[in-house]
Amino acid sequence: MLGTRPKAREGAFLWLIKILAGLSIVIVLGIHFVVNHLVAPEGLLNYADVIRYYQNPWVVTMEIFFLIAVVTHALIGIRSILLDLNPSDSFLSILNTILIVVGVGAVAYGIWLALEIASRGN
Amino acid sequence: MTDRLWHVTFSIYRKKADQPPFYQDFSLEVDPDEYVLDGIERIWAFHDRSLTFRHACHHSTCGACGMLVNGVEKLTCITPIREVTKDGGKIRVEPLRNFPILSDLVVDMSEFYLRMEQAHALQVVPVAQSTLPYESLRFPDDGLPHERLNDCIECGMCVSACPIALTAANYQGPAALAAAQQTYSLTSEKSLLALVDCADGVWRCHSGFECTAVCPSNVDPAWRIMELRRQVIRHRIKRIFRQDG
Amino acid sequence: MMNNQPTPGKALRWFDPRHRQPGTWAFILNRITALGLTLYLALHLIMLGKLAQGPEAYDSFIALAKTPWVKFGELLVISAGLIHGLNGIRIALTSFGIGVTVQRQLFWSFLTLALIGSAIFGYFMFFVH
Repeated sequence: MLGTRPKAREGAFLWLIKILAGLSIVIVLGIHFVVNHLVAPEGLLNYADVIRYYQNPWVVTMEIFFLIAVVTHALIGIRSILLDLNPSDSFLSILNTILIVVGVGAVAYGIWLALEIASRGN
Repeated sequence: MTDRLWHVTFSIYRKKADQPPFYQDFSLEVDPDEYVLDGIERIWAFHDRSLTFRHACHHSTCGACGMLVNGVEKLTCITPIREVTKDGGKIRVEPLRNFPILSDLVVDMSEFYLRMEQAHALQVVPVAQSTLPYESLRFPDDGLPHERLNDCIECGMCVSACPIALTAANYQGPAALAAAQQTYSLTSEKSLLALVDCADGVWRCHSGFECTAVCPSNVDPAWRIMELRRQVIRHRIKRIFRQDG
Repeated sequence: MMNNQPTPGKALRWFDPRHRQPGTWAFILNRITALGLTLYLALHLIMLGKLAQGPEAYDSFIALAKTPWVKFGELLVISAGLIHGLNGIRIALTSFGIGVTVQRQLFWSFLTLALIGSAIFGYFMFFVH
């Protein structure tokens, strides 16, 4: 390890994505909160209201974008914290696989759920 | 120098070879305007000759005497006793964090020095470019190339205070990154950017700012790391558009 | 000689604020809120699945969510979100070279904003609805 050149492991790219996702979250969270809890009637506290709310395609788009931003930011963040513990290369490749699976899975589940709820309106 | 002496207990971290570490207490009468290093030297001279510690210049130029004083990184040659305790109080002295301990208060700085070399750290810099770029110091320009010793004295206190250096031995560390930034600013060596542009380099910093807080010498490593990030990004963007190395 | 080496085992010391300065407190707060919010994210996504199970499942869960303990938990989440988000903005700013020399002041201002925001949310959650 000592005296060797460190390899360029793409730290910059993920770091930039994390910051951009974070900034997107700040903006969309603001919108998400205002819309969900102040604009929507009775603050989406019952099933029927949620269904009605999800009929708006802009809502569906915003919520899906929000989900992707949050999952990306959170999982890259978890990876950063674990990287600070100096893991071995094999641990890191297993970790990357797990995070990608969890991330894709969470986004797929969220998109399915959003579309499913939207489809329940008449 | 005051006439009144203080009773101060120095609690010194001791560790030899593979023996378990322990704290040894020494009671001293000290002039509170003396420095912590003076107390440690007196303990060595008159109480325990087996105490190992580093010291050289005694005026904050060599960077040898960095230690933890009551849990905080300090350059002991310029830390007055009255700054860290009171009459009847205790001073706990420990070696710097995040370095292997060789003996008592002496840590192994070899990897640190190697990293500084890899970063092409400069010992001497032109005076006109020797301060932090955001400071508005001005030096009279008489047309002559004045130089002075670089601010970084390679004391290692920034590495000791860094939370990432605490858990990750492969993190290049604030000193090396700051050195790379300064050298790159003065020489434009692109190889330095390649050195720091990696997950263990400039992107591993989590903005703790502790390095700048403990630096005794106006290096401001945190600022330099942020500036280095911008220099790396600028260079990457240029490479995309101009295809030059 | 091995003593005092950097090791992953020292990770708990990340969260020890003693003898450290506001930059470290921000680092600690950010890490703790990050872990808390990630946990909340998982729970929230699971909870939203109840919508797919129909009105009874969702509405009965919402009834549960109106109990004071759950509301307090939600207030903690909002606090964590405000602290993490505002400190994140501070980190984004300093990472691009903005405000590095005033990062302490930024920390205090953003923490104050986050606490005020939490108080406002708490007021609405407990005394208005």
